[in-house]
Amino acid sequence: MVAGAVSVRQVSKTFGGAQPLHALQGVSFEVPPGQFVSVLGPSGCGKSTLLRIVAGLIAPDGGGAVEVMGHAQSAPSDDVGVVFQTHNMLPWLTVEQNIRLAAEVRRLPAKDIDARVEKLLPVLRLDRFRKHHPHQLSGGMRQRAALGQILVLLPQVLLLDEPFGALDALTRDQLNIELLRLWQDLRKTVLLITHSIAEAVFLSDRVLVMSDRPGRIIEEVAVDLPRPRDPQVTKEDPEFTRYVVHLQKLMGVT
Amino acid sequence: MRWRDIVDPAILLLLLAVMWEKAVAIFGIKQYLLPPLSQVLDTLWQNRTMILQQSWITTGEILIGYFWAVVGGILIGLAIFAWPTMRRTVYPLIVLFQGLPKVALAPLFVVWFGYGLTSKVLMAFLFAFFPVVVSTLGGLAGTPEHLVEHFRAIRASPMTAFLRLRIPAALPSIMDGCKTAMPLAVIGAIVGEFVGAENGLGHLILAANANARTDLLFAALIAISVLAGMLYLVVELAAKRIWWRAL
Repeated sequence: MVAGAVSVRQVSKTFGGAQPLHALQGVSFEVPPGQFVSVLGPSGCGKSTLLRIVAGLIAPDGGGAVEVMGHAQSAPSDDVGVVFQTHNMLPWLTVEQNIRLAAEVRRLPAKDIDARVEKLLPVLRLDRFRKHHPHQLSGGMRQRAALGQILVLLPQVLLLDEPFGALDALTRDQLNIELLRLWQDLRKTVLLITHSIAEAVFLSDRVLVMSDRPGRIIEEVAVDLPRPRDPQVTKEDPEFTRYVVHLQKLMGVT
Repeated sequence: MRWRDIVDPAILLLLLAVMWEKAVAIFGIKQYLLPPLSQVLDTLWQNRTMILQQSWITTGEILIGYFWAVVGGILIGLAIFAWPTMRRTVYPLIVLFQGLPKVALAPLFVVWFGYGLTSKVLMAFLFAFFPVVVSTLGGLAGTPEHLVEHFRAIRASPMTAFLRLRIPAALPSIMDGCKTAMPLAVIGAIVGEFVGAENGLGHLILAANANARTDLLFAALIAISVLAGMLYLVVELAAKRIWWRAL
């Protein structure tokens, strides 16, 4: 078997303190290269903690291991890009400067950065807004730019922590479609954290369902819907509804 | 700036000026208590060269003191934020020192540094320094946590995060501190002049008072408020360049 792009083995996490918080319990899974996998769970189940561990931002408890593209992920690496729910645009920089930022911080040659940014701006449909500052953009444009801030490093693996969670439903649907298009074009591996069942089914190849805290993976559901997916067609598909109902049962929503 | 931003306060000022002038006449207030505004303005005009000279001296004291308060305040603020040892040692000392009534130090400075420029610059500096330190610290510490984490995720060195994230994020707060500090520097310089000086607007007020020249005293007061207003305006215009607020 080909090694996973992301491989998580027996990861647990307890946050210390007077009242220790048991966030994750023995989480294991693999994400093959190019797959789109969602982690679905109720709020407070530790899924954001899991993502931060995969990103190398925090360390798992002893005994757990995370590998990304075959390397132990004990610190942030260029293989992984993370996009959080709150966008990470710096208000004093323009869209273009914000997208360049990560590449400049990594000290890439200016010519490479130029080339990458020129490619990204049209893909993200931001070329007309490159000189705008974040406060001049709509919420959806800000999240697209936030994606650009990460894509400029050409990570193999994208970790998305409810990147569109703060947006209205319409914009969110729109961005999810664009995310799928982007994923199909760029062939990245995606690990998405979400608490929206419909979103997880619509986007993913596989959905990992997490329990309440301490978070464990209670079931893996392979989503076998045809691609490319279209919001109208896919969501009318009886199979889509079947997946949603199944996941609702697992999560205790009735 | 819209025209009403200038006209409205001008109308209020004019109204107050008329009230002043009329009140003195109607109530027959003695000149050495409150001269009519017309006489104050006349005195101001007659003595314009002397008052400008004195204003110039006071301005110099204010600006030098303010400059060092801003530079020193920001540097100390950065150092306290960056080095925990500084936070444990220097910061409590500064806070403790801040509690001292600075006016009480003025006579000491005169003893140490004489009647010249140094003691006034030091007073202006002392009055203006603290708000700059506090606003610098507040701005640096107030950098949103998610941006700090983002910089970790893109593997920025602590130095890069400091230069490209924390400092620009702190600038709006630092500018607030600089705005607060400006009028304080004016007060500091005047207080310094009160306690022991041979020149400056503060000294002019004392001299006018001693000679029962209330009109000249008011002329000096007007000069101080115009000076303070202009200096504040300059800082505010500079602060406009730091337009970002919401992070």
